[in-house]
Amino acid sequence: MKFFFFHLMPWPHLPHDYEGSAWITCPNANYDPQKGHGLYNRYLDELVYAEELGFDGVVVNEHHANAYGNMPSPNLIASILARQTSRVRIAVVGNALPLYDPPTRVAEEFAMIDVISGGRLIAGMVVGGGPEYYANSINPTYAREKFYEAHDLIVQAWTRPGPFTFSGKHYRMRYVNPWPRPLQQPHPPIWIPGAGSLETMEFCARRHYAYMGIPYFHKRVFQRNFDFMREACEKEGYTPDPEQLGWLTPVYVAETDEQAWKEYEPHLFYFAHKLLAGIETAPPGYTSAKSILRIAQSRGDFMINVQTRREVEDGGYAIVGSVETVREKMSEAIESFGVGNVLALLQLGTLPADLTRKNMELYAREVLPYLRRRFGGATADAA
Amino acid sequence: MGTTQQKLNVRGIEIGVHRGGSGEPLLYLHSASAESTAWNPAFEALAVEYDVIAPIHPGFPGSGGLERIHDIGDLVLHYVDLLDRLGLRRAHVVGSSLGGWIAAELASLYPERVGSAVLAAAAGLWLDEAPMAEVFGVPPGQLAERLFHDQRHPMAQMLHAAGESSWDTPPPDDVLLAFHQSTEATARVAWNPYFHDPSLEGRLDRVRAPTLLLWGAEDRVLPLAHAERYRERIAGAVLRTIPACGHLPVIEKPEQFAGEVATFLRRHPLASSGSAAA
Repeated sequence: MKFFFFHLMPWPHLPHDYEGSAWITCPNANYDPQKGHGLYNRYLDELVYAEELGFDGVVVNEHHANAYGNMPSPNLIASILARQTSRVRIAVVGNALPLYDPPTRVAEEFAMIDVISGGRLIAGMVVGGGPEYYANSINPTYAREKFYEAHDLIVQAWTRPGPFTFSGKHYRMRYVNPWPRPLQQPHPPIWIPGAGSLETMEFCARRHYAYMGIPYFHKRVFQRNFDFMREACEKEGYTPDPEQLGWLTPVYVAETDEQAWKEYEPHLFYFAHKLLAGIETAPPGYTSAKSILRIAQSRGDFMINVQTRREVEDGGYAIVGSVETVREKMSEAIESFGVGNVLALLQLGTLPADLTRKNMELYAREVLPYLRRRFGGATADAA
Repeated sequence: MGTTQQKLNVRGIEIGVHRGGSGEPLLYLHSASAESTAWNPAFEALAVEYDVIAPIHPGFPGSGGLERIHDIGDLVLHYVDLLDRLGLRRAHVVGSSLGGWIAAELASLYPERVGSAVLAAAAGLWLDEAPMAEVFGVPPGQLAERLFHDQRHPMAQMLHAAGESSWDTPPPDDVLLAFHQSTEATARVAWNPYFHDPSLEGRLDRVRAPTLLLWGAEDRVLPLAHAERYRERIAGAVLRTIPACGHLPVIEKPEQFAGEVATFLRRHPLASSGSAAA
C-alpha cells in the first residue's frame, strides 16, 4: 500500500463571473504571471512538504492551455522535485505521448529525472485529455495508435542497446540512442491514467502496468473500472497486485465534519464548476465506438453535474470530513475498490495555502498512520 | 425515380453508393454531414437529367476503409479509382463543403477526369482574414446555428433537440455512433491543416473544367471570401449564391441547389469535349 500526494497546480483566480470553458479557449489574459510566480513557488513548497510529512510519493501531470492545471511541462516540475526532495517517489502521470514528436524526447527527459533523482521516477504515460488535441492541433483520430507506438518506441529506447533504427507507422527514426539511460532497470515503473477506456485497461493488464483511475466520477464508475481492470488481468492469466490499481481522489480533513465542509465547500465547487468546465471535450476519433458509449453512460456521473454537498457525499466525489469520517470513508473505498495506491488531491481549486497545509498535516498525521496499520505499508520516516 | 443502393469494392475498400437517373454521369461528393447516406431530394431532382452517383466517403457510415485514408490526397485517389471502377473516363463532379474540397483537388490534379465541376461551399483554402468557423466539438445547438440559415429546417431542429437532451435521455446509440463515425472520418483529413490543403491554391490554375461556385448567401461556416478566392484562381469560374441559405444548400435548399447545378451543367455537356465512357 502506497500513499501519494497529488498536485494539479490549478489557477485559482478565474473571475467570479467567468462562465466559459477553463480549457482551450479560456482567454489567457486571465493568467497573471506575477500571481503565477507566487503560486508555482507555493505549490512546489507543498509538494516538498509532502516528503517531510511522510508520503510515499508526489504526483504531477500534464495539461495545456487551461486554468485547471498549470503544468504544460510536468517534467520541469519533476526535475525541480528531483533536487528538492530526497526520498519520495516522483510520479509524472504522465506525459501525453502523442504530443511529443519525436517521442524519444519523453525517453530522454524521464531518464534525466530518473538519474538525477537516484531512481525515484514513476513514468506515467497517457493518451492525453481530449482538450490537448485542440490545444496542440494533433490529429485525434490517431491518438491511440500514436500513443501505443510512442510507448513502444520509448520502452525500446530504454531497454534496447542503441543506436538502433525504429520504423513505425507514425514515427521513423534512423538513430535511436538516448543518453542518459534510466537508472531504474530495466526501466522506471510505468503508470497509465485512464478515465474508463476499455482499451487502456486491457493494455495495462497485458503489460502489467499500474492503472490509475482518473477521478471526479461517481464511486460506482470507479468500482466498475477497477473491477474491469481486475477481470482484464485475470484474462491475461494473473491476479493483479493491489498496487497495480491506483485511486485518485480529492480529500479534505478538518476538526469536525461541519468545519470541514464549511472550509472546503466553496473551493470544491470552484473546482467542480469552473475548472472542470470543458475537460470532458472528446475530439472526433479519440476513443473507440464502444468506449464512446461507455463514457457517455458515465457522463451523468461526472462531478461537473454535482450541485450539493449531499451529492458529493453520496457519490464519493470527494472525501470530506473529520479524521474519523475520512478514515472510515477511505477505508471503505480502498477495500471495495481493491486499490494499493492512493493518490490524495489535498489542494484543489481555490483552496488557500493555510488550509492546504492544515489538510495535509491532518491527513498525514491522523489518517495515513491509521490506513497503513489497517491495510499494510511501510511507515515512512515521517517528521 | 428508380434508384439503387449498392455496395461497391473500390481497390479493396467496400463503400456504399446511391445511384439513380440516367444521362451523363454526375458524381456527387458529400459534406461532413454525410447527406449521401440517404437518397436526397436534390439527387432526385438532378436524376431527371443525369446519372447521379452518390458514394459514401470511406470511413463514413455505410463505407469502410478509413484505415486507408490519411489525408485528402488519399480521398482524391479513391475517387479516381471509383471512376475507373465504374468505367467512367470523365464525369461531372459536384461536391459540398468537404466534398467540394475533394472536387477541387480532383479537378486540379486529374483535370482530364472532370467534365465540369460544381464547388458548393467548398472547403480547401485557408484565408487568414476569413477563417472557416470551428465545426468540431461545437455543441449541437450551436452547430445548427452555424450550418443553417433557417433554424426551423428539420435537421437544424434535430440538432437543437440533441443539444437540449439531458444525460437521462441521450440520443439513441445508433445516432450517436453515426455522428461520431462521420466526424472521425472528417477529422482524419480535416483536423490539421484545418479543412484545407496549403498546396491546393497554387495549382488551381491546372483546373480545366468549367467551374461553378455555389454558395449559400448566409454561409456562416465558410465565408463567401472563399468563393471569391476560388473564382480568382480558376479561369472562367462562375459564382452563384442562393439567398436565405446557410452552409449546406444541398440540404437546406435542395430544389434551388439542384436547379443551379442543372442549369450550369446543361451549358457544359460532357459530349462537347469528349466521351464519358472509358
